[in-house]
Amino acid sequence: MLKKAKTGDSLPVIEKEIDQDRILRWARTSGDFNRLHVDPEYAKQTRFGGTIAHGPMSLAFLNELMMECFGIGWVRGGKLLDIRFTAPLRPGDKVRVSGTVMQVQMIGGKWSVECDLAVEKQNGEKAVTGRALANAEFGMQNGE
Amino acid sequence: MRHQEEKPELVFVDLPVGRTFKPLEYPVTPELVQDFIETVGDRHPLYDEGLAPPGLAAIYARLSYLQEHTMPSGGVLAKQVIEYQNPIKIGDTLKVQAKVIESYEDEKKRKRVTFLIEAQDQKGMPVSTIRLYAIWPK
Repeated sequence: MLKKAKTGDSLPVIEKEIDQDRILRWARTSGDFNRLHVDPEYAKQTRFGGTIAHGPMSLAFLNELMMECFGIGWVRGGKLLDIRFTAPLRPGDKVRVSGTVMQVQMIGGKWSVECDLAVEKQNGEKAVTGRALANAEFGMQNGE
Repeated sequence: MRHQEEKPELVFVDLPVGRTFKPLEYPVTPELVQDFIETVGDRHPLYDEGLAPPGLAAIYARLSYLQEHTMPSGGVLAKQVIEYQNPIKIGDTLKVQAKVIESYEDEKKRKRVTFLIEAQDQKGMPVSTIRLYAIWPK
């Protein structure tokens, strides 16, 4: 968990690999068996040319990053803002889940940290972009 | 659960502002949490202390308005906003309910629908609020 943060800091990077097994497990967990995700033959005929991962899986990766950085503060008032799905994740993709601190403020006696977030594919293409606002349990002497 | 192919499609005219879908309730079992964290690969130590991953409140967001319908192909999830209010704990029962808060054709005649999807626990405490902005295919 982060002990302090200042504008420009990079959050720790999380790396993930997407494969069809992970997509099928997500389908079973979420109940979303849309054929675009689970049926390779069907998906080949669509404009995507193959199966793609469920969008909320990427949200789960962003949540993992924010939990790692802010712990329980994330689930008590954390916000994912302007989350945009800009490219599909496909089996075989290796992705980096990353973030940059944009602002640190004391609001009402609590630290609030604003971050830019991204899920980026191995070729540099961004699959998901967005921002997060998190409550942080920094001491009064945060390094901002 | 009815098989996806047996349900009618949910089309734009079925989505006027104010339409509220029936709540979807589900228990946060240890098995569900285990499936979730193994699928995501998120092994935060707080999950060993009874906390559930916050993303669990969102996994059924889409299903909350597709309980009796399928999604027509060609839709686009344009944007999503999620606010977390309170932790989810293993053993909770979550109630997720979707409501249409915007439904209009934009200047390019694209059918835009915004859902407000609220999740609360068995005590009525809010756990998350999701705004899901979609471009509907038909």
